Amino acid sequence: MSEPQAHPSKAGNGAEPMIRLEQLTKRFPRQPDYAVENLSMDIPAGEIVVLVGPSGCGKTTTMRLINRLIEPTSGTIILEGEDVTGVNADALRRRMGYVIQQIGLFPHVTIAGNIAIVPRMLGWKKKRITERVDELLELVGMDPDAYRDRYPKELSGGQRQRVGVARAMAADPPVILMDEPFSAIDPITRDRLQNEFLRLQAVIKKTIVFVTHDIDEAVKLGDRIAILRDKSKIAQYDTPEHVLTNPADAYVEDFVGAGAAIRRLNLSRVDEVEHADWPIVQLPAEPADVREALRGSGKGAALLLDEERRPFRWVDARDLDRPERLESGVGSPALPVVRSSTTLHTALNEMLKSGYGSVIVVDESGACQGVIDLETVLNAVHAMRAEALRHAAEFEQHELEEVGGS
Amino acid sequence: MSFLEYLSKRQDHLLELAIEHAQVVALSIAIATVIGLALGILVYQRPWWAQVVLGITGVFLTIPSLALFGVLIPFVGLGYKPTVIALVMYALLPIVRNTVTGLRGVEEAIIDSARGMGMGRWRRLLRVELPLAWPVVMAGVRVSTLILVGITAIAAVVNGPGLGEDIFSGLARIGGANALNLVLGGTLGVIALALLFDAFFAGVARLTTSKGLRP
Repeated sequence: MSEPQAHPSKAGNGAEPMIRLEQLTKRFPRQPDYAVENLSMDIPAGEIVVLVGPSGCGKTTTMRLINRLIEPTSGTIILEGEDVTGVNADALRRRMGYVIQQIGLFPHVTIAGNIAIVPRMLGWKKKRITERVDELLELVGMDPDAYRDRYPKELSGGQRQRVGVARAMAADPPVILMDEPFSAIDPITRDRLQNEFLRLQAVIKKTIVFVTHDIDEAVKLGDRIAILRDKSKIAQYDTPEHVLTNPADAYVEDFVGAGAAIRRLNLSRVDEVEHADWPIVQLPAEPADVREALRGSGKGAALLLDEERRPFRWVDARDLDRPERLESGVGSPALPVVRSSTTLHTALNEMLKSGYGSVIVVDESGACQGVIDLETVLNAVHAMRAEALRHAAEFEQHELEEVGGS
Repeated sequence: MSFLEYLSKRQDHLLELAIEHAQVVALSIAIATVIGLALGILVYQRPWWAQVVLGITGVFLTIPSLALFGVLIPFVGLGYKPTVIALVMYALLPIVRNTVTGLRGVEEAIIDSARGMGMGRWRRLLRVELPLAWPVVMAGVRVSTLILVGITAIAAVVNGPGLGEDIFSGLARIGGANALNLVLGGTLGVIALALLFDAFFAGVARLTTSKGLRP
């Protein structure tokens, strides 16, 4: 069997993909050029795949080809192993949730009615629909009793977006298509909705095809991102880590932009890196203990913890010469403090503002886990780069084998 | 005889004419709404046909009513039939035009999300587009009703029913006894009917429009 598609468009895990597009092509009538040309890609089950590219690259057209709001000129769409290119389009769409930028809630229908649209078309029993609506409203963080009977005009932009997502999930479809769902919302609400969306996805584990023009959003949300160029050609299809650290070509590099290295830090969390070797002393302790710890470390200050291992004060050599007891609060406040789930990006930001160029890492209970500093971040960046290079080498090796074997 | 004396003496007669008048308007509006909605639905996505239909129904409205009633006599005779036919023709334009405007005014994003959820053509029309266009359609129906209440008075020239009978017989012997009272009674009756109809349809529009669409 011949495999015309390029390797990067294939899912890495070898399992059957949720969606497979084969040589999908769209040419609109009376248009000289293809809107989408020969697109082949696998979308693995349970992952968020982000299609990202400049406006006019065909990413929205590509998404609309998947649920056949636009009928392909040629090519095949396979959903869960079944060729759906020729099946009834309405029936196909009821198997895929659909969320668009303007959301498109029906203004004349209540929130409950909006969410119930697809279940009703599928002929669910009334009781089951009511239960499902309440369940979904709770899932997206809206009180069913307060919102069920309201109309869309009574909701804020963020709430409408939540209802839009709930509506897309109503009949529990395996796939959800989302076309720039967060881009019409103010940045603060958008950030919150993105976080909520990631938390939700961790629970529902849907296969999500997400279209955006915003590389930051793509990096934040995607398990995999496909960088598209003109006519929806895949420039690179890989994890965000690899796209950022190892762009496939100049186009991707250019699109990902100058901030790629910094952005990459958004993908690592503090608990994934090794802590730096800062002197940490738990109270009760004597100044001599601290002096001892400081001497061997080569650092300018030591971190004091209270009896419950919570960060207490930073102290340096001069603070130790003063007559007060350590418990009385010599030195400077134990700041900045970050949770272990914080991204390296945020930690770095805090670090640059801090007095000693370091941040204190605490767990959920507030107990200190360690300290990280600039060196920690640099080491992490080096490790990422090495990993990316290894990945690239393996990838080339694999391609060579594939070419040799066919 | 003063107008008030006249009214108290002739109230049964006036009421009878008013009911006839209202019936013929109601029947014509009902027919025109069905035809107008159907035409609007047929053409709103076909710009060329929309132009044709709006053009023709527009021409109907410009024909002087006296002439139209007269022209219909050779084909359908006198009385009820020519009245209803002419009234339906006059009522079409506002209803068709508002149906087309209303259906075209439905937000693209709403149609797109309806299609994306797998709603077929008819379900979309009945469940989404028509309910959203409804307030605009109803506004057209109200305008048509007001036009018809007035024009129906003229149907008396083809022996049509309604308050026109008194108006025309009064006008025929103007200067004679009670002539002015006849005209005045008929005319005020027409105005009162128009107000009643309008209030009625305002109520209907409110009851049949989703709460989510009210301002």
